[in-house]
Amino acid sequence: MSDASLPLLKPALYARGERAPVLLGGRCECGHIFFPMQTFGCERCGRFGKALQPMQLRGHGRLRAAATVHVHADEKRPTPFTVGTIELDDGPVIRTLLLNASPDHAAPGTEVEAMFVEVETSDGEKVLDLRFRPVVS
Amino acid sequence: MSKLLRELRPVYVVGIGWHRYQNPSETSYVTLGLTAIRAALADAHIEWPVVESTYIGTALLGMAAGRAMLKHLGASGRPLVHVENASASGSAAFRHACIEVAAGISDVVLAVGCDKRNPVVRGFTRTGIDNLADDAIVPFTHFALLTNEYATRHRVKPEDIALVAVKNHGNGAKNPNAQRQKARTLEEVLAGKPIAGTLTALQCCPVGEGAAAVIVASADAIKRYGIDASRAIRVASSAAASERPVSASDADATLTRETIQRALHEAQITADDLDVLEIHDAFTIEELLYTEAAGLCPEGAAVHALKAGEFDIGGRCAVSASGGLIAMGHPIGPTGIGQIAEITLQLRREAGPRQQPNARTGLAHMVGLGSVCYAHVLQRDS
Repeated sequence: MSDASLPLLKPALYARGERAPVLLGGRCECGHIFFPMQTFGCERCGRFGKALQPMQLRGHGRLRAAATVHVHADEKRPTPFTVGTIELDDGPVIRTLLLNASPDHAAPGTEVEAMFVEVETSDGEKVLDLRFRPVVS
Repeated sequence: MSKLLRELRPVYVVGIGWHRYQNPSETSYVTLGLTAIRAALADAHIEWPVVESTYIGTALLGMAAGRAMLKHLGASGRPLVHVENASASGSAAFRHACIEVAAGISDVVLAVGCDKRNPVVRGFTRTGIDNLADDAIVPFTHFALLTNEYATRHRVKPEDIALVAVKNHGNGAKNPNAQRQKARTLEEVLAGKPIAGTLTALQCCPVGEGAAAVIVASADAIKRYGIDASRAIRVASSAAASERPVSASDADATLTRETIQRALHEAQITADDLDVLEIHDAFTIEELLYTEAAGLCPEGAAVHALKAGEFDIGGRCAVSASGGLIAMGHPIGPTGIGQIAEITLQLRREAGPRQQPNARTGLAHMVGLGSVCYAHVLQRDS
């Protein structure tokens, strides 16, 4: 288990929710929901600034695809690791790292949820980063 | 009113040339580029001073690489511009060379793609918007995910998808300009180094170095310079687009479908009219996605068509007769221009052992990171 009091690696992208981690997305006046939050402009309609408001997205969705990576140039990311395409319940499709997602446990359509894992920064500091894992029923 | 390329004056490809695509070497990019340009000039039987303007497709050479190369042809004082559009840099350079001739601004224009493998900074990592794990998701990871999605949706096996590589390595073995010139069995493709998901090394394009050059000209110029009109190939259409937000379906395939449809419509043909298709097959899965998106077969039917030999040289439509990105290679800047040169060779019936019989119409398709997409139709007159 990870120490829940550790700082977050990317606090601009996710936060501790009441029960589970949430993603910090946004919602445009036009109804478009996106991740991550930004105010540059809406990809669907072009409204910008205050037309775009923060919206917490549930860290829950369905796996659309997964792939285990065997070759990766960046040594800070040792292989193998597994990445997934996830359709969040709130709409946006994101890509991120998966945990416990061998092909047997992570076929497309699998229900997945966000969780925190303890990782070390390049300075050796212990922090929490976000992963998605199959929901264990 | 805006106009299509076809509605402006006709544009013809009159000269083509390559420097072989190859593994990274000590060869200067100047040598790579000049070799391709001199081959294209010789092919058209024209001299360098005749060329009025140059578009250089390059993504990896660094700022202002072009004049340092072109000046060795005898500095003519003519304008040049660099075009960077990721993997589609060469396709973009070609499109704008065509537009310049079609508009009547110039009569003879060069599009040259030249690159050497160098570290890449992807601009979108500098937007200031953070991301969850983009450092873990490089192009082959993106396509490994699409492979997983396609295989699940259409119930195809990894060995079915790998057949694309078997075909394209076989074609590359017949192409002296290809980086990979060795035919491979299905067993060899599957037994190769695992990269990501079910993709193995021989199902991923090699990024090396090389150059490709294409000279386009107006009908006036063909007459004026005594260029052999029987070897001139008409550029029948040019379409370009960028990604829009789409929710459910795959963005690259949707973009490809729309762009190719526009190119076919402008050329007043359908997918059934295509004899040769050079497609952005950087990874095996892409050929399946894009032959379906192009309308060569229904969605989910590409493996069946592939197994039936429909996409072989001699089949209904030769797909990636050059070897495609998988075997010919993907040196980035040259790739889209090399596709145009390959189709020109095919439509002139000069492709030798990889000639598609009676080829009359061809389409070149590229996708660039972002994503951007290009499609050009080439057609011989008779």
